[in-house]
Amino acid sequence: MQTIIIQLITAMTGSLGFCLVFRLRGRLLLPASFGGLLCWGVYLLGLEAWGGIFVPTLVSSAFAALYAELLARHLKAPATLFFIPAVIPLVPGSTLYYAMYHAEQQLWLQAKDYAVQTALFALGIAAGACLVWAAFEMRRSFVGRRCP
Amino acid sequence: MVRTMEHPGALLHCLLDMAESMLSVGAEVNRVEGTLSRMGRAYGAARMNVFVITSSVVVTMVLPDGTDLTQTRRITGPGGTDFTKLEALNTLSRRCCEHPLSVEDLSRALAALDEPPPNPVWICLGSMLAAGSFAAFFGGGLWDALVAAVFGMVIFFLQQRLPSLFPNKAIFNLVSSLLTGTAISLCGAIFPILQPDKIMIGDIMLLIPGIAMTNSVRDVLVGDTISGIMRLIETLLWAGSLAMGFMLGIYLVGG
Repeated sequence: MQTIIIQLITAMTGSLGFCLVFRLRGRLLLPASFGGLLCWGVYLLGLEAWGGIFVPTLVSSAFAALYAELLARHLKAPATLFFIPAVIPLVPGSTLYYAMYHAEQQLWLQAKDYAVQTALFALGIAAGACLVWAAFEMRRSFVGRRCP
Repeated sequence: MVRTMEHPGALLHCLLDMAESMLSVGAEVNRVEGTLSRMGRAYGAARMNVFVITSSVVVTMVLPDGTDLTQTRRITGPGGTDFTKLEALNTLSRRCCEHPLSVEDLSRALAALDEPPPNPVWICLGSMLAAGSFAAFFGGGLWDALVAAVFGMVIFFLQQRLPSLFPNKAIFNLVSSLLTGTAISLCGAIFPILQPDKIMIGDIMLLIPGIAMTNSVRDVLVGDTISGIMRLIETLLWAGSLAMGFMLGIYLVGG
């Protein structure tokens, strides 16, 4: 439980750090970095429900895209500004590290395992977000607006 | 809304400036294509043929009298992410779609956005916060987070200084990860209380092209295949050089 709380808090502060690096303007910092916390929370729930990597990542990324689209409408800003900070905690930094660490030790089996996990995270993030974007795109073409 | 196009060449040049700015701050390919098409039509073009990939922009504008006008722009350098500028460009294009500015005003507005000076202190603090947070996020303790934050600052300075020495991003990643990997391994060897792997993971998050990689897979999935494949291969190369640099660092210290 303690680990989960630490993860949720650091997911948010980590997203906040990236918002600063990407020069997000002040008023949007809090809603954008809160997305990181929510997104990781959804990932943990998905992990509990289905296990594995791909499905929880997909669901969590779809959630992040939905969160971003809704905030974008509410705060009148492009959705990317909220989507990228939200999915930052899903970026597979640790599996990439362990893949190369095991490669350095010439433990190829483990290295391959971690490399596959890294790819699954990347694919899951992209696929999940695409589902939501496709849905919003369809809605947009029904409503038929002219400007972005 | 239809404006007579007095200087279609100048207008098209301005639109390409806009596309270049958007790509340099991290806008997606299909967003750039959409923006250019809409803006061209708002200025009175009969038809817009826009083709954007991350390294080139090609636009053919069909004028109301039926003549074609084509300009292209080569985009060099991968560009970064700057949400403030991205938002400003978005607002500008939206405004132009509703009430097209004169070409001179549009050109002036774009030039005004190019004057940076962003405050680097916040970017530095952001790097430290992100590196420290993710060291703890992936299981590091308080000290690991603090050391990762210090190296986050180091990476920030490398990112400010090194690209002029190493314009190739793969080489930049190799050098900066070799330097930080060696230094972190040394820290781990001197202070046994630290977990060098967690510190490195925190700092990898700053260097890993995770967003670019996700965007490239997304580009492929939404149909911008060429852009997606290009960017995917670039990011795999960057991630590979990053991994090589850290591995070499670990190997040198003998971890």
